[in-house]
Amino acid sequence: MSGLVQSSEEKFLRKKFSDYYGASSVSVRGLEKREFGVGGWEKKIEFRHLAFKNENELRARLVAEAPLYISHSVAYYEFPDARPMPRKNWEGSDLIFDLDTEAHSCGKFTCQKCLDGVKQDAIKLIEEFLLPDFGFSKSELAVNFSGSRGYHVHVVSDAVYDLGREARREIADYVSGTGLSFERLFWNEGKKFFGPTPGQGGFGGKFARAFLAKLDDDAFAISIARKLKKPEEREKLKSSIGRGNWDNIGIANREKKLGEKFDEMKLTMAGRIDANVTADTSKLIRMPDSLHGGSGFAAKRLASPDAIASFEPMRSAAVFGSKPLRVKATEAIPALNIQDFSFGPFGAGEARELPEACAVYLLCKKAAVLA
Amino acid sequence: MADLLFCSHYPFSSAAKAHVSERRMEIVSSYVEKAEGRVREAIVSGKVGKVPALSEAQEEELALYAIARMIVSCANNRYLINRYAVAEAKKTGSYLSSDASAHPEYVDAVAAEFGIKFEKAGALFLVPLGKYLTYTPRSIDYKLANREVAAGKVKVSSHERVRILEEAVRKKIERELPIRAAFPGEVKAAGARVLALLPKLEANVVKVGQENYPPCVNRMIEELALNVNLPHTARVALGIYLVKAGMPTDRILGIFRSAPDFSEKTTRYQVEYLRTKGYSMPSCSTMDSYGACVAECRCGTPLNYRTNVHGRALKKEEETK
Repeated sequence: MSGLVQSSEEKFLRKKFSDYYGASSVSVRGLEKREFGVGGWEKKIEFRHLAFKNENELRARLVAEAPLYISHSVAYYEFPDARPMPRKNWEGSDLIFDLDTEAHSCGKFTCQKCLDGVKQDAIKLIEEFLLPDFGFSKSELAVNFSGSRGYHVHVVSDAVYDLGREARREIADYVSGTGLSFERLFWNEGKKFFGPTPGQGGFGGKFARAFLAKLDDDAFAISIARKLKKPEEREKLKSSIGRGNWDNIGIANREKKLGEKFDEMKLTMAGRIDANVTADTSKLIRMPDSLHGGSGFAAKRLASPDAIASFEPMRSAAVFGSKPLRVKATEAIPALNIQDFSFGPFGAGEARELPEACAVYLLCKKAAVLA
Repeated sequence: MADLLFCSHYPFSSAAKAHVSERRMEIVSSYVEKAEGRVREAIVSGKVGKVPALSEAQEEELALYAIARMIVSCANNRYLINRYAVAEAKKTGSYLSSDASAHPEYVDAVAAEFGIKFEKAGALFLVPLGKYLTYTPRSIDYKLANREVAAGKVKVSSHERVRILEEAVRKKIERELPIRAAFPGEVKAAGARVLALLPKLEANVVKVGQENYPPCVNRMIEELALNVNLPHTARVALGIYLVKAGMPTDRILGIFRSAPDFSEKTTRYQVEYLRTKGYSMPSCSTMDSYGACVAECRCGTPLNYRTNVHGRALKKEEETK
């Protein structure tokens, strides 16, 4: 793409990526109003402020240049290629949630445990926040694999289309519980201690429902008060909480205790979404179904939000097949499984013949060279 | 719905506008004088008086509202416009509070002006999430995480409902002013007199010699001075710039002081943190992606602006001497 000298690995990958784009169709909602950015071997976004009139034009560019990364704006603009930003004339944006594996705890290679964890996060976001609290319908949600180790949830809805950064930040803060003051959920009235009812919205209702469900657990109930060992006392407390009265039995240290329980229940998604991405109305986000140059996986668009439960990235997001390809490791490779093919561990300097999907993954990770 | 009482309480409404354009109101001197008084009171004491319940006074109110907008437009100063908008919005709030029981349909009509439909839920109201986020003031009380949110709606009290509409009115007036048109000489003169109030009002805002700063930094400083809530990314960028430009912490605090959510303790800590960490200035393209780039100065980073752009200009000046 640029005048720089390409390594033979980069050349090889670009050829593979070009073939992929040549054989597949692309579709982007509101394509002509989006800004695009493309990246290469060194940087995920090298050029931005690109615009395309239609899918054919975009696809032609993908086939001809085979960028290793392609992203598009969450925003819709009147003039997506204008600069500087204000001249683009912002019209609105999708609302985005970016979920990633926890702090890259397992290093550069993707581990199944992390992938499962982030999948559960995405399901929690959808099932406990986007649908019940924010009232979005499933048809307004588009979920795709990030191509690396996370998921992107795009909300396409008139209800959020023209919200500014501050409003979007509030939404992200809600989901992560930032600025939540737990003690505001409770108040004293004489000797009585009132709090949220299970039927109410927001974190108050979430806590009340979770608390009532947990009271059936002996250890939990006793940790609140010894008296709750007796089932009839438990039932009395439950029905009292149902009316918003949280203490009919004299719980010692109740504010502190309840606060600790709230933290243990992990009802918020603190640290699990990237608030900056949600707040950024001009963010460039991986184009769904495009290839990720850091893994060779596709940022697979899921057929529906429900499809995530059975989605296995290491099996379904790898797009290159089983044709053998010989590569030489440049660092230690752990045990991996891609498209149901198990390989590794093997050491730096060792060469292996691998199915193309696996070999491309190692090349993209810059953990191997062509042998 | 277009009764005169409603129009006089809510002169910004489309019903009031329709009423005025039917009447083809004339601009008479006595009205200009009264309207100037209204603007002065609004920006000095933050108040706009209520209207006596007489049809003459109500008609006059509509005229005064229109002329006051022209005067503020002639003064054409963001700070004045914002103060004026706050005062008009407060007056609206006080009408909404009393009308809520006397003329509940008025409150619905004002809400409809902003595309808001409040649903009754017992003694409380439900407001759609997007409208809630757009029109609530930024404070811990309104923090979404502390609210009852369900099915895309947020529960608010009747007082909060009024507060939301007040904020909507404020934003509408801020957005619509200044009106760009040719105004009569009398109105222009009133605008100039109002503008002359400015130095007294602005005494507490730190002035910086801005001519050397890049346009993006100038814009951020201006916005702060106008009590605009800058996004976090912009605040950090501005903080880094001012630290790198060698400005002492106390003066930087003076610039951030007019941010609506300013806290001296927090800001001092943050500025000192930026200073000790020695963060590097975001590049122009990063500033652009924050939506903070407002010109094409081709400097690479805002820090180069002085040497690049001013350097070139200064050199030229010296050469021609």
